[in-house]
Amino acid sequence: MAMIFRYLNQNDDIEHHISSENEAEIRNIIYDRTFSGILQATSIHCHRFGLNCKLSGSVYAVSEIRGAIPIMHGPAGCAFHHRLTPMKIYSPSYNLPCTNLKENDVIYGGEEKLRNAIAEVHQCYQPSMIVVLPTCISGLIGDDIAGICEEKKSKIHCPLVYVSSEGFAHRSKESLDVLLADSAKAWKTSKPPDGKLRGCGQEDVILSLVDQLMEAQDVTEDLVNLEYFGRFRYGSKMDLQETQRLFGLMGIRVNAAIPSCTVEQIKLAPSAVLNIIFRNRRVAKRMNERFGTDYFYKWVTHFGFDGIERFYREVASKLGHEGDASCVIEQEKALALKNINKFYKYFKSHRCALSAQAFFFTPYIVEIISKDIRLPLSYLCINTQFLRNGYASEETIQLILKNMREFFENRELEIEIIADPTMNDICKIFKKVDFFLNDHIIPPMNQNENGCKIIDISSISHLLFGTSFREIADFARYLAGYLNKRTNANRRPIVSRLKYDPINYPMIDDPRCAGSRAMWSDMWALGSSIGD
Amino acid sequence: MDGGKFFGTFRACSGITDAVVLNHVPIGCNWGAGMFKSISDQSDVRHACTVINEREIVFGGEKSLQEALHRADSHYQASLIIVAVGDVPSVIGDDVEAVITSANLKKPIIRVDASGFKGTMMKGYEDALVSLAPLMKDCQMVKRSVNLIGVCLDDFKADADVKEMKRMLKGAGIEINSIISNCSYDQFINAPAAELNIILGRGVSLGRLMLEKYGLPYEVIDYPYGIEASKKLICTASDKLGMGFDLEMDINFNPFKRIYIWLNELLDTPVSVIGDFSAHSMANFLDCELGLEIEVLSTIESDYFSFMQDVRRSNSMMIFGSSFEKKLASELEIPLIRYSYPVFDQVSIYNDSPYVGIRGAINLTETILNSIMSFECNSKHNEGVMCL
Repeated sequence: MAMIFRYLNQNDDIEHHISSENEAEIRNIIYDRTFSGILQATSIHCHRFGLNCKLSGSVYAVSEIRGAIPIMHGPAGCAFHHRLTPMKIYSPSYNLPCTNLKENDVIYGGEEKLRNAIAEVHQCYQPSMIVVLPTCISGLIGDDIAGICEEKKSKIHCPLVYVSSEGFAHRSKESLDVLLADSAKAWKTSKPPDGKLRGCGQEDVILSLVDQLMEAQDVTEDLVNLEYFGRFRYGSKMDLQETQRLFGLMGIRVNAAIPSCTVEQIKLAPSAVLNIIFRNRRVAKRMNERFGTDYFYKWVTHFGFDGIERFYREVASKLGHEGDASCVIEQEKALALKNINKFYKYFKSHRCALSAQAFFFTPYIVEIISKDIRLPLSYLCINTQFLRNGYASEETIQLILKNMREFFENRELEIEIIADPTMNDICKIFKKVDFFLNDHIIPPMNQNENGCKIIDISSISHLLFGTSFREIADFARYLAGYLNKRTNANRRPIVSRLKYDPINYPMIDDPRCAGSRAMWSDMWALGSSIGD
Repeated sequence: MDGGKFFGTFRACSGITDAVVLNHVPIGCNWGAGMFKSISDQSDVRHACTVINEREIVFGGEKSLQEALHRADSHYQASLIIVAVGDVPSVIGDDVEAVITSANLKKPIIRVDASGFKGTMMKGYEDALVSLAPLMKDCQMVKRSVNLIGVCLDDFKADADVKEMKRMLKGAGIEINSIISNCSYDQFINAPAAELNIILGRGVSLGRLMLEKYGLPYEVIDYPYGIEASKKLICTASDKLGMGFDLEMDINFNPFKRIYIWLNELLDTPVSVIGDFSAHSMANFLDCELGLEIEVLSTIESDYFSFMQDVRRSNSMMIFGSSFEKKLASELEIPLIRYSYPVFDQVSIYNDSPYVGIRGAINLTETILNSIMSFECNSKHNEGVMCL
């Protein structure tokens, strides 16, 4: 991978800094982006025309648990396509046995098939745990799944858990709007919103584990549990290692990274004194109710140098390790800043723009890039169309834009926000900047008349959402390496010659796609309400 | 590992290239079928769903379907709307026909049963074509023309394979009337104009129905992998149309001559094959024309766990199958040749690189050789060689 950074270098001084660091972490991300990210793009494409089943989140969560095997209790088609859960299309769940319900089962019930499947899976796979995932059909016909699991538990040698995973109980159309509005309000208060995820297949799996697998333990004061979906997610392994390393230096130990761990670790999770949760809030509350485990909500305010510092200080304070934490934070932060400073001379001579979706972490990316990495960021192109397609209201979109502007003003960031720019607007920005950081928003035009470099940061930006100062420095190093490469003036990729939908770019301009997108938007708006 | 009736139905219906497939299902079914279809064609998205939710489970999905029909009518410039009725509305008993009738739309709408629990993917495909058949009309015969039945546009290499079959048939003086299911609505309804239905392994029920209703004869042949199956396709068609044509004259063996030493090395290499109905044809080509030894042969409707165990116990040096066999191939550290649905980790967009027909035989041979020659054995294998 060193070749990437040394290839066609322009500035030897910068090159020295770029190649002098340990490149293994970045190489891993680029490797994942190349071989996994390409397949993951399927999921992004399909989200324009539909939404994945709740069940796919459950399959994904089970796949994170070492040796656990899910049993899909439903028709074969469910197991067939859920092998490709959209969270990790590059790593299918090959072992996804199914009860294969047929017409007769719909009439007479599928309970016997489930009993047999549990026995067969236990024998054939020797799993660390079996997780029964009901589908729409088994939910509809009313099979007594809980009763069967209770009955079969004593006959197998591994834990048996069932989950409320019926696909029709998915999230509502209002959920994105509520989440976005709450997040936009939270930008002002820096307090995480009390978001609830209705119909989240991942969360329902963990809730079942809390209720059916975890056991009360003696609590150890320096142990924490992390919420972590990372065994198969790119970029996240490094973040977990970094978090463990920093906690270790502060005298705090990670008990379990749930659910990406072993069944035994999940069972013993209540021995931790604290749960650190980003996503599954109900899980934290449930563990608190059942076992008295305290919880800490991590949020986007914990991104960036200041946010990471706040995160470690707040967690350490809950565990009485403030003194250890101060020392570690100062050292780590100073080292990362020193590394970033190597590139500052180079960065400051470039003007840049960023394009992103108007999502809840966007203001924080801007803040990290501008203040931590100190890139001269002048423009932020915001695409709200994806949110509108997901039924975000006009009121919420306007709130997002208003609060984002205030966020920047309060931090004295002179960034011009351009909401839903046309391609013409973007071309004008190309003339004003040296490079354009692109997070899956604009069509891939690697070459433009003004020589402005367009850098796809959709994968590498994971480094900005980590819990380690070093990862931000790694992002800076990656960026410096990319900018330092000489561009081939003759490059004109085929993909940049295609015609794109002017509103929903980078969707291809085709009436069939446009119709399907509009159709999905309409039907989602009509059919996914939480009810009157 | 069979996809069930819903997938078969969806695949058959989406092959009417100017139709909209309105899946009357919860979101997950719509997502799954659409995702697999999008792997090699992201520009052709013509499916939608009625978003069956808990509310519909309780109160019925008819209102949602009614809304969806009107929206499908306005959002798409489609010739036909096909309502694929999935598991949930079948169970809750939505009166889909009544909703279609009351929608009172100008364009034709047809209901197709797609309950996943009612059968296999093959059955879904067969039944869907029969359900679509009432759209067909009596028409004047087009001499020396045939229909090809059994194609799915989301099959790996579908476009390239169809192009090659067309090329070979044209060389024999035969025109294609309709390709089912990879044709326009107009071509579909005019299918009875052909002189002969050639059924490529699936769609037999439609063939029987068209024989009964339109007197149109049919012939069932294997998917034409390899030279012999290609000859069978052309000979069958030309014989039945009373034309007589020997494809042998059209075969250029020079590409094979160029790699004859490698072909010699391939002889007796043990391999495993799994796939849909076309698995047998693939195995025939590998066995009879390349001289490979087929150790395990299975179809998607058979027990998948047994297949995996059989392959593990075999000496197979390659697997021919779908993307679902990637892990098994990886576990055994052998190459996987993807040819059977679903292929979701490779694309096939170049329509001059078929796997069927004469050109397909060359292309497949090239693919097999390249997979073997470029495969990077791990250190464990190398150690084994060193020990010898």
